[in-house]
Amino acid sequence: MPKRRDILAIVLIVLPWTLLITVWHQSAIAPFVAIRKDDRVEGRGEAGGQAQDSKEYCASDKYIVEVVRTEYVYTRPPPWSDVLPTIHIITPTYSRPVQKAELTRLANTFLHVPNLHWILVEDSQRRTPLVTRLLRETGLNYTHLNVETPRNYQLRGDIRDPRIPRGTMQRNLALRWLRETFNANNSQAGIVYFADDDNTYSLELFEEIRSTRKVSVWPVAFVGGLRYESPKVNAAGKVYGWKTVFDPHRPFAIDMAGFAINLRLILIKPQAYFKLRGVKGGYQESSLLRELVTLNDLEPKAANCTKILVWHTRTEKPVLVNEGKIGFTDPNVEI
Amino acid sequence: MATRMKLKLKTVFVLYFMVSLLGLIYALMQLGQRCDCTEHDLPKDRTISRLRGELHRLQEQMRKSEATKQPLKQAAKLSPPTIFVITPTYARLVQKAELTRLSQTFLHVPQLHWIVVEDSPHKTPLVTDLLVKSGLTYTHLHMPTAKDRKLQEGDPNWLKPRGVEQRNEGLRWLREDRRAQPGGDTQEGVIYFADDDNTYSLQVFEEMRSTQRVSVWPVGLVGGMKYEKPVVEGGKVVRFHTGWRPSRPFPMDMAGFAVSLKLVMANPEACFDGEAPMGFLESSLLQGLVTMDELEPKADNCSKVLVWHTRTEKPKMKREEALQAQGIGSDPAVEV
Repeated sequence: MPKRRDILAIVLIVLPWTLLITVWHQSAIAPFVAIRKDDRVEGRGEAGGQAQDSKEYCASDKYIVEVVRTEYVYTRPPPWSDVLPTIHIITPTYSRPVQKAELTRLANTFLHVPNLHWILVEDSQRRTPLVTRLLRETGLNYTHLNVETPRNYQLRGDIRDPRIPRGTMQRNLALRWLRETFNANNSQAGIVYFADDDNTYSLELFEEIRSTRKVSVWPVAFVGGLRYESPKVNAAGKVYGWKTVFDPHRPFAIDMAGFAINLRLILIKPQAYFKLRGVKGGYQESSLLRELVTLNDLEPKAANCTKILVWHTRTEKPVLVNEGKIGFTDPNVEI
Repeated sequence: MATRMKLKLKTVFVLYFMVSLLGLIYALMQLGQRCDCTEHDLPKDRTISRLRGELHRLQEQMRKSEATKQPLKQAAKLSPPTIFVITPTYARLVQKAELTRLSQTFLHVPQLHWIVVEDSPHKTPLVTDLLVKSGLTYTHLHMPTAKDRKLQEGDPNWLKPRGVEQRNEGLRWLREDRRAQPGGDTQEGVIYFADDDNTYSLQVFEEMRSTQRVSVWPVGLVGGMKYEKPVVEGGKVVRFHTGWRPSRPFPMDMAGFAVSLKLVMANPEACFDGEAPMGFLESSLLQGLVTMDELEPKADNCSKVLVWHTRTEKPKMKREEALQAQGIGSDPAVEV
């Protein structure tokens, strides 16, 4: 009898400790515990179920690294990831013969970039069917806006008001849309980039943009009458000036394609817009950036601003001499 | 003495048991609560789970594509015909930009083999690096244009034909060197001459894949018009809609047609004639290959524009030239 009691005693001592140890062990790997404080029973059940999954998750940590080297899969666009910050690309556009071609090759570039949101703003009274159809067929994640730059009625013809730099109203509309759609408390990470429809962008550029915390900058080719313009970066990795010939004393002597802004900064400074009128040539970018950031806060990208990842290409205006006065080709065929 | 000790031991045991049981219950209750230290881990683990989901999706897609590829390797007839794109290129400021955005388009097209032929006595590092990083299947060739055939500074673009030697070199490689490669025996393929400053939609490549002899389609922004196109009646090309010299045998742009590999192999003498008069370059090749009624109209009976003859402006370098005259030009080590 005493023997049995001893055994019983030993069991009673060991059992709670083993239970405790196993439960603590599981909890160490699986912090996926129940959410609600009142639903304790559920919580425990979930913890038990998820605890098993957690082990698998941990094990698969190793595999995630190896996946990067898979073959290129022709999915257009790449699947949306909840980890990567979204790049909001603001592109103003206007109707002219090369518009569809420009937007087509731009879309071909963007289709390679994960988590991209294209905000296309037309300079028109109404959204045109050409752009609507093009955006739909690409399969990209997009927002289609439009605002018409007021025409200068003093000049005859289709001349827009020359005091308003091209694309300004469209970019401002996109900024306003962003501020109305997202709020600063929303933890969705995003970066805003102004991409004109005739430039050329390398895919590396978008990955550099993604790590922007406030405002990042990099060199741009073929601007300012030079091979490239670039920010001056000192040994400490801070921007202290601008390597340009055209007015290097501008607050931000940089092209529209040479910087990106974190979405949060746009949202917490809702008064910052591109200045509409009275802006000297080349000062448009400064009119926005000086309200958002100082020179010291700029983050240099592209290997401390030594690599060219974006080119300010311009497409020739096609010479349509053979169309004649009444037009030779069928106007119903969309180009 | 013994009984008292026994009693004490018993209580000790009971106490111990109760305490550990209480402790266990407390610990279990802790698990049921949200604890501050685990809050940070939640999003991380959620992202891990999402990444895992994506990983599974991508792996599934890969497995599917592998599954379809494997039998295709054995039965080459079933694989989609490869599109061989021949692009002549030459060094100038916008070259890297043009080739970059061209490669971005090509990267979307499956079974595409890019043949880049440089107008240069040797392969340049700029093009070599770009091709390596592009991720495309490519062949890098070079063929310099003879000095007297080359455009000089200030010459208008139309003065001398461009890209002739380079395109012919591409054809030669296809006829001769490609045979030596594994899988080079197949004659299934389509050849397309794509200049590096044009704009191509993804649809045009799918249209040309079914070429049996020579297929044609409209080209936008060329010939001084919004578009040039073959006129199709009853499924056949009867004439060409063009604003300039419509009496040419084949009045269309280089970007408006594709030739099947089989046809090129069957006609080993067919190539571009550099001596041909302006605008007759395309005809100089096609005359020897096909007649007008044999042409296959694509792009919805040649009613849609899927490729545009865009041209890129030469960037203004006034300030750069001024700086270089002073000896303080931009760093030439930075590749543009």
